[in-house]
Amino acid sequence: MVMEKVHRMSNKGGAAHTRKPRITVFHCFTALEDTASLEGGDYEIQGIKMPCSSISREVFLLRAFEAGADAVVVLVCPVNSCRYVQGNIRTEKRVTRVKKILDEIGIGGHRLNMFNIVQGDEAAARRIIEQTVAELGEWGLSAAA
Amino acid sequence: MSRGKLEQTLGEGKFAVTAEVGPPRGANAEVILKKAALLKGCVDAVNVTDNQTAIVRMSSISACAHLVQLGMEPVMQMVTRDRNRIALQSDIMGAYSLGIRNMLCLSGDHQTFGSEPGAMNVHDIDSVHLIHTVKTMRDEGRDMSGYELNVAPRMFIGAAENPFADPFEYRVIRLAKKVAAGVDFIQTQCVYDMARFKEWMKQARDRGLTEKVYILAGVTPLKSARMAKYMAAKVAGITIPEQMITRMEGVAKEHAAAEGIKICLETIQELREIPGLSGIHIMAIEWEEKVAEIVKAAGLFPRP
Amino acid sequence: MIVGEQKPLEEIKAKVSGYSRILILGCGTCVKTCFAGGEDEVATLASALRLSFKLEGRTIQIEEQTVERQCEDEFIKEAATNIAEVKAVVSLACGAGVQMVASRFPQVTLLPGVNTTFIGILEKAGLFTEKCLGCGNCIVDLFGGICPIGRCAKRLFHGPCGGSSKGKCEVNPDTDCAWQLIVDHAAATGQLDKLAEYVPPKDWRTSQAGGPRKVHREDHEI
Ligand code: SF4
Ligand code: SF4
Repeated sequence: MVMEKVHRMSNKGGAAHTRKPRITVFHCFTALEDTASLEGGDYEIQGIKMPCSSISREVFLLRAFEAGADAVVVLVCPVNSCRYVQGNIRTEKRVTRVKKILDEIGIGGHRLNMFNIVQGDEAAARRIIEQTVAELGEWGLSAAA
Repeated sequence: MSRGKLEQTLGEGKFAVTAEVGPPRGANAEVILKKAALLKGCVDAVNVTDNQTAIVRMSSISACAHLVQLGMEPVMQMVTRDRNRIALQSDIMGAYSLGIRNMLCLSGDHQTFGSEPGAMNVHDIDSVHLIHTVKTMRDEGRDMSGYELNVAPRMFIGAAENPFADPFEYRVIRLAKKVAAGVDFIQTQCVYDMARFKEWMKQARDRGLTEKVYILAGVTPLKSARMAKYMAAKVAGITIPEQMITRMEGVAKEHAAAEGIKICLETIQELREIPGLSGIHIMAIEWEEKVAEIVKAAGLFPRP
Repeated sequence: MIVGEQKPLEEIKAKVSGYSRILILGCGTCVKTCFAGGEDEVATLASALRLSFKLEGRTIQIEEQTVERQCEDEFIKEAATNIAEVKAVVSLACGAGVQMVASRFPQVTLLPGVNTTFIGILEKAGLFTEKCLGCGNCIVDLFGGICPIGRCAKRLFHGPCGGSSKGKCEVNPDTDCAWQLIVDHAAATGQLDKLAEYVPPKDWRTSQAGGPRKVHREDHEI
């Protein structure tokens, strides 16, 4: 958590971005049908649809950053309502581990976050994206993007 | 060569008293001589620890040799943590040649607790093997390899036992194992929990062990309520009953040490009434000046 | 199996930082099972290193490959093509695999990426524990199937020591005292008296103390 604060400080942008922020959204298709409904803001969305969030191996999350993401959002079903019982729990553990790697690298684990949303709650998904965009205003774009 | 005083006292059925000193962290023999002088005449033998709590100190064997020169009788502690069977046997022979007549076979505190946490440990043999080795050297005049020794080190063999460590039901079986391996006397971990100690002694008697081995109960006077609480909470294998801690807390700070001595004396009185108990071992590390006071107040002075 | 842990990213990064092109070579057997050096760990490490270099404005080219077992020549042969392309290989195998690769490909610098830790088991999901020290002459039957050589911090043949408390080892309160387990097993199976027997000192020649060991099976030589 200390690392996270350090990165927030060192990456502090505050100023306008030089390009549109890019957010990669990993989502299981139960939690969210697809990301089309999230488009339309002053940002780019890259959606990655999966039958279950738990198939997102650690490296997929890292590769999203390699491919230019400024932030990565993982949308999964609420605890206890995973279609595959423990898929979202496994995902959470993986996200935690990748956050740690991002901290170690210096990108900052705060750029990767997992959220539980109720099936089909597009409004919630939108709010998450908007919140992430707002936070990116504070953090600045990823230096590794 | 004649038997040592400890062996003699115990052999004559007299209640024995031993104490303990720790060698210095340095090469100054004065320290050990000073501590020992405080004990002279009021105990039958003095244990000398072997890099206790895995902190590097002057070797037990050399500190023991200093005591011998002073006309005192040491119990050389020897741990299997730092030496393999080659070094252990060689030191036993050397110790005997220096006039050391008693030894205490231990496995030793784990090195990660001491001043060299990065050290490799040895544990080639364990404390029970060591007992067996010393006995074979003494009674058969042979080393572990079977080689006949020109002079056998005739050591009086001791070991430690902790009636307060777990698993309790096994503790007395382990004592039996040490007896079978050839131990002559046992010094126990400090007794605060009298009920548990008595139960352990009863089990030892029931197995006929008190007929085969001299048991010396360990006592350590408490200096303060803080020390009592620390030992109860932090030292693995020590139990201090709640009432005893409360009692220490109940007295003003400046009277705490006196209260600790008082508890210690009461403990000794109670111990002396336990059938099959052969003596006490007073561990007053860095408080050696109190040993004489305790021995006298307990009516155990003069020593035979 | 052999249990190991991947070295910290910082350490691996420092080791590879002089190279512009490396191979990360995984092993698909033991270290894969303990999440230290299988295919997934190779990919994650490669990506993390690339990102980390990129942040510093540098690039590193990383080849990735995982073979079935790095401790067998048959399998590491497959890495020859990739190894020919690089100056350094980060091996995510155990120490045996690392050395096997180092001896087959002496021209390349071999960098260990895993700390080989012990011979152990998967006790439960996410927990691996040490069981055996490979002493070369198994006597675990004397202790009811619980090995004090591999599992007692003092390797006691006549434990427990005075530090055993509430079933835990004094050295690490998170670890079971092997001797508590041995005694419990003996008590549960009515063999406490068998445990009272003296176990003679061990002949350590069969262990590592006797020098590097070999198992030679002439019947399997071709
Ligand atoms: S006795 Fe030796 S081979 Fe058997 S489990 Fe213990 S260390 Fe391993
Ligand atoms: S507490 Fe148990 S496992 Fe730990 S060193 Fe002592 S006997 Fe061995």
